Amino acid sequence: MKRLLILLFIFVSVHLSLTAQQSEAQIRQAITQAASAMKTMQCDFTQTKHLKMLNDKMTSKGRMYYQQTNRLRWEYTSPYSYTFILNDDKVLLKNKQRNDVIDVNKNKLFREIARIMMNSVVGTSLTDDKSFKSAITTNNSEWIASLLPQRKDLKQLFQKIILHFSKKNAMVKQVELIEKNGDKTVIELNNIRTNEKISADMFTIR
Amino acid sequence: MQLFAQSTLSETEGGRIRYAASIEMPKAYLSGICVLLREGDVVRGSLFNEFGVTALDFTYYPESQKVKLHHVIKMMDKWYVRRVLRKDLAQLMLRLQQGETTYHNKRRHITYQLKVIDNG
Repeated sequence: MKRLLILLFIFVSVHLSLTAQQSEAQIRQAITQAASAMKTMQCDFTQTKHLKMLNDKMTSKGRMYYQQTNRLRWEYTSPYSYTFILNDDKVLLKNKQRNDVIDVNKNKLFREIARIMMNSVVGTSLTDDKSFKSAITTNNSEWIASLLPQRKDLKQLFQKIILHFSKKNAMVKQVELIEKNGDKTVIELNNIRTNEKISADMFTIR
Repeated sequence: MQLFAQSTLSETEGGRIRYAASIEMPKAYLSGICVLLREGDVVRGSLFNEFGVTALDFTYYPESQKVKLHHVIKMMDKWYVRRVLRKDLAQLMLRLQQGETTYHNKRRHITYQLKVIDNG
């Protein structure tokens, strides 16, 4: 009887584990399909920086535009004005005082930040196995992917990245960037519109 | 003149001020946000870029006019960078107490600037 119970337990455990794996594979597939079908995306965002040492938080707002495969405009409008445009290998940083154009291949920090921001909002970080070890959990309305950086340069920036995907459309609705010192930045994406034409001027770097 | 200059550093316990920050070096330019919090006899500060990545956490001790660095982003975490940052941040904090918002390190040609964003 005891042996039978042990065998039954092993069978149920293996079955549950396989079901979970299938389910996770299906989630990954749905997210990958949604990301590849997303030719353009634009939305408003609210970014909240949590400062552990100061027990403080700061909220900034702006608008984001993305065009497959390597164009991103990340524009802060409040409480400061700052625009970050990624167009292939070039980044334009624009604030009230000056414009700077940076070659991302020559600047490790901006290369990583550009990659993380773009791949996180699109959701492709989840399938980047070289950069992240990932695990997915679910709740009623979301798939939650926890990404642990694997590459040295990413590890230097973040302890963990958490992506919240809407189950409705398999698209990212919130990004959490958790740093080594305990600080955290939460970016919420709102009023998301996909596959609408975005003027090329939005990504122009001059 | 400095007797009448208004400090741009909070003098009240728990008072915090947010600044748009920039560091201009001969071959690089960094911008971001600096938050300074008055806590007892010290001022605690965090400096992070617009995307929220923290570059520095520090404490300024007004009595000794010294800065202690608690966290420096790995890419900048070298002993010689720490030494310059400690000295320059102390000078910048001193300038803020005197109502100024800029410190220029003449020897290394680095300019630090803070502009108040809001008092929230």
